[in-house]
Amino acid sequence: MRPDILWAILILGILSYGCRISGFFLMQYVSVTPRVEAWLRSIPIALTGAIVAPIAFNGGPPEWLGLATAVGLMRLTSNEFLSSVAAVAVVALTRALPF
Amino acid sequence: MPSKESPPLLSPSSPPPFTLQGLRAGIVGARTLVPSVTMYGIAFGVMAAATGLKVWEAVAISAWVNAGSAQMATLQAWADPIPLLAVCLTTLAMNARYLLLGAALRPWFAGLPAYQSYPSLFVLGDANWALALREHADGRNDAAFLLGSGIVLWFVWVGSTAAGYVFGQALGDPRKFGVDFMLAAFFATMAVAFFRRAGGIAPLVVGMVTAIVIERMAPGPWYILGGALVGSVVCALRPDEGQPDHAA
Repeated sequence: MRPDILWAILILGILSYGCRISGFFLMQYVSVTPRVEAWLRSIPIALTGAIVAPIAFNGGPPEWLGLATAVGLMRLTSNEFLSSVAAVAVVALTRALPF
Repeated sequence: MPSKESPPLLSPSSPPPFTLQGLRAGIVGARTLVPSVTMYGIAFGVMAAATGLKVWEAVAISAWVNAGSAQMATLQAWADPIPLLAVCLTTLAMNARYLLLGAALRPWFAGLPAYQSYPSLFVLGDANWALALREHADGRNDAAFLLGSGIVLWFVWVGSTAAGYVFGQALGDPRKFGVDFMLAAFFATMAVAFFRRAGGIAPLVVGMVTAIVIERMAPGPWYILGGALVGSVVCALRPDEGQPDHAA
């Protein structure tokens, strides 16, 4: 067991947990005005959009079809499990097509 | 227009429920994420083996750091002797977005005692955070959901790290089965769910465009934090926000 590796892992974990709790901790000192509430309320949609956008932008027809499947089915069923699995199936099938 | 049916974010005076049922709902709700986390964990295990880490080191990182993208990036910077500053900065850069995730949880979790909220945050990740906020948006505000879903994913993550380390090379290319797309699909469905309660299309569009631009310009994970920050702040700065009648 190498102490330097052990220390590195220990520090990396503390930094990660620090990031996890800091935003939550600091927000208790921010008074939640309507504007702040509007900000907090729009973080989820902005963040999920930011995760997906480069995948759509850099992807090809399989990824576009997959995203369209996920979004379309989610709108119809509101079931994220079903929609995600179907989207993955669409991607796997279109990737298997010979062109 | 901000939707009026979304539940009020603010009820700091009354603590949300934190029950076994909520924990169980989180455990069940996490099932959507098991395939992608498994694949991700296997990938990390394989890469850790290739980087020259011992199996217990790889498992300890997954158990203690518990942050997929940060761990992957850390491996890129890993060397002997360990460049401590570089791996620390990499981890901070990768995990900076957790500041936003935590901030967004504040209105919901504010009333919880610290012995419930702070341990829950240890298993906070993008995916179970999104799931939990979706539950909250649907009116189910049991705060133990985050912990339940996070614990499941923690076990899957640690277990698949070990499995990937030991058996990794024997597995075929997961791309063939589209499993690498599972997280993208999941976050697309979450975007649909959040779209209903967001204040119009602005944060989505601004977040997406910002993410694409940053992803082109800067390597690494900055695009997620940048897109989320710019998209949400722009939304909050619009002139019609901040009016008293928007306060729920």
